[in-house]
Amino acid sequence: MAQTSSRGISRRGFLKLAGAAGAAAAVGGGVTGPRPAQAAGGIKPGFTSKYSVCDMCFNKCSLIARVQDGVIQKLDPNPKFLKSRGMLCAKGNAGVEQVYGADRLKYPLLRVGERGEGKFKRISWDQALDLMAANFKKIGEQYTRCGFMFMAGSDMQSTFVHRFAEAYGSYNTLSHESMCLIAGTRAFLDTFGEVPIPDMLYTKYVVMAGANRFESLVTPDSMDLMTAMKNGAKLVVLDPRYTKTAAKADEWFAIKPRTDMAFMLAIAHVLITENLYDKKFVAAKTYGIEQLTKHVKPYTPQWAAEQCDIPAEEIQRIARELAAAAPAAMVYPGRRSSNYTDSTQIRRSYAIVNALLGNWDRPGGLTAARVVGLGGGIPFEAPFYEDNPEDRIDAGKATLMFPEEGSFKLARDAVLEGKPYPVKGFFLYHTNPMQTAANRSKTVAMLNSMEFVVTMDIHMSDTAYMADLVLPSQTYLERQDPCSAQQGSSACACVVMRDPVVAPLYESKPVFWVMQQVAGRLGMGEYFDFTIEQFRDKQLAGLTGGMDALKRDGVYYNPSKLYGVYEGKIYKTKSHKIELFNSRYAEMGLEPMPVYTPPKPGGFARMRMVVGRNAVITQSSSQNNALLAKFQPTNHLWIHPERAQELDIKDGDWVWVKSKAGKQRIKAKVTYETRPDTVYMATGFGVLSPGLANIYGKGACIAQVLTDEFDSITGNMAMHETWVRVGKEAA
Amino acid sequence: MLKRTIVVLLVLSFIGAGLSLALASGGKGNSRKGKYLYRKNCRVCHVQNGKAKELSPISKTQAQWKTTFAAQDKLPCAAEWAKLKEKDITDIYAYLWGHAKDSPSPAKCK
Ligand code: SF4
Repeated sequence: MAQTSSRGISRRGFLKLAGAAGAAAAVGGGVTGPRPAQAAGGIKPGFTSKYSVCDMCFNKCSLIARVQDGVIQKLDPNPKFLKSRGMLCAKGNAGVEQVYGADRLKYPLLRVGERGEGKFKRISWDQALDLMAANFKKIGEQYTRCGFMFMAGSDMQSTFVHRFAEAYGSYNTLSHESMCLIAGTRAFLDTFGEVPIPDMLYTKYVVMAGANRFESLVTPDSMDLMTAMKNGAKLVVLDPRYTKTAAKADEWFAIKPRTDMAFMLAIAHVLITENLYDKKFVAAKTYGIEQLTKHVKPYTPQWAAEQCDIPAEEIQRIARELAAAAPAAMVYPGRRSSNYTDSTQIRRSYAIVNALLGNWDRPGGLTAARVVGLGGGIPFEAPFYEDNPEDRIDAGKATLMFPEEGSFKLARDAVLEGKPYPVKGFFLYHTNPMQTAANRSKTVAMLNSMEFVVTMDIHMSDTAYMADLVLPSQTYLERQDPCSAQQGSSACACVVMRDPVVAPLYESKPVFWVMQQVAGRLGMGEYFDFTIEQFRDKQLAGLTGGMDALKRDGVYYNPSKLYGVYEGKIYKTKSHKIELFNSRYAEMGLEPMPVYTPPKPGGFARMRMVVGRNAVITQSSSQNNALLAKFQPTNHLWIHPERAQELDIKDGDWVWVKSKAGKQRIKAKVTYETRPDTVYMATGFGVLSPGLANIYGKGACIAQVLTDEFDSITGNMAMHETWVRVGKEAA
Repeated sequence: MLKRTIVVLLVLSFIGAGLSLALASGGKGNSRKGKYLYRKNCRVCHVQNGKAKELSPISKTQAQWKTTFAAQDKLPCAAEWAKLKEKDITDIYAYLWGHAKDSPSPAKCK
């Protein structure tokens, strides 16, 4: 926000600055595509219906596009798609606007001014591809191939970016996951040997901490929880904010941030001391109950009450209720866990309570991944480059980092430091770390330190705005994609795929084609010597009737086993049992069981900032959608009335919010829907790019304020470690 | 913070003494090179509908990989193994063992 206003570049000015006439159009200066005509009296007879898969968030809901005269008029849910329970959410419905929005990138654009200045010129695809090839060659030769970094979002074609990176020879691939969920993944993997899928539909009791499932949708969990509650299940929500999930819950506790582990340890304490845990299950399938019994002894509900601001008797009662409903009861594992420096251990405490409830692999509990049977596509043998460095640039900086995901935070620090080796090229596809990574100033500095940055997206995201070369991507409704496997517990183990529902607009291309073209120019053509059809055939080779089902129903189901998957099998942990006590952690000098450390006090006027989603936007990829922007045109800083009064802030006042990472200017929303020690704002506003006309100049950027601590085990961004001061803007 | 320092110190001291978890059990090799060598030498046969059983790191536990490598001369493809350099075998082991099904980072795809 500060940056945009201080530079004083208006949208009109930006378009002038954009140089060549073609560039103005290319960044959204008025050329629009065809428009759906449905507003005037609905769809006329004679439309065609085509299956596709939503890409407005990671859930990949199957949909039916209604197309008339080559234009998408409407998107409907696919009633045969059980994972979403036949639903297409608000964002999914607004997908039409992704295709026809005026801000689509239309041609390849080359930066002509300073980085971040917004001056681009239109170039041809041939020029763009030649330039990419030349830079891959130059940077690879000068800095080794690991000197080029890759980052791809959760997309059905991201696999081709990873394939390219591997064939080219770079270990430095990143995804969005280290800014989202890897701490939770690590915790459950290191307890159960795999990441569970909650069986929400049949559960009777859910404790949900650090998740907001009725706004931040996960299919089928969000829908199934609603149905389970109609059938009598109880939902207890722990959240410092009064989210919509809290509003719908049977009980909401405004837990003090960073104390969830204390709550879980106290639950474990009650389950063990009152002999309420599933003894048969624990004896047969877990490892470490003796150590855990000793470990949780001091963690009484009375002790936890002081930490969490939840009364001891409530904690005790919840533990008893969980036990009474078990095994159809759970602590919801959640998804995003980019919260604290010990988020892996916090989520381990969730996993341990689940193990004590004996809910693993049983109805209403946590289920294992079902067999889908989708193959990996066309295999390849990437070359090995002897002159490459030993490992990733972020290797060894977190104890148990996932080598395929890495850590955006630690990689960014390493790039900035230039150690252990320089990284000077960056290719990004379908991801926007300028908005999603904490500490935007550092992201800017990293991009500025690069010699060549390429971004491929459908619009001029802030990351694209900082790039040297910007490539126009096809939207999901214009693309042919590989098949994708999905897990949905009782709903499904299934496969979906995408074919184009309309012809691609402008000069947009799929990333598969780009990778193929650049590979060809670099003499790596053999790694992309196939079509998407051939890739899919290979993926589907083991599934008889797979393609027929996909064509007929838009989805293929594998009726694989749901419960009792682990009968007679080992757990994929070190002890081959569910690990209450993690023996590998013990060997590595990590705490084998979660040890609670109380949060540091914030001090006067210092509040913790938390992040969270709502149901109409998915961070930065959907904010600029004109339909969704009507529901969420901007963001506000949520602040509790008590604190607001102390600071003389009234609802709607302009305030500044400041952390050690940065400062933003934003309007306050004075509300009881957050704790006095916690502030919140929605992600994805306060953009730098005037190419995002629907949201440019609106709201403030949370990424500018969030500090970039990290979970020490995985390198997951720890965004809730952000302490802020808030003050009223001088009139 | 103190705890993290201790962890770092512990890890460093293990490395110093040549006793780290990784070194003690397979980390001597270069797992990335091992992946390449595995694909080049082993996956020729160990693929879907191949001459031998389809294999990937997650086909076995770490202990099973250890046993397999310890008894390499008894395997049906022992003659193929004999053609590999010892360093290559160590690298392949580092890859398979390091991404085994009960490892901290099980291989994602085959
Ligand atoms: S949950 Fe909504 S946005 Fe996400 S894939 Fe499904 S319909 Fe699309």
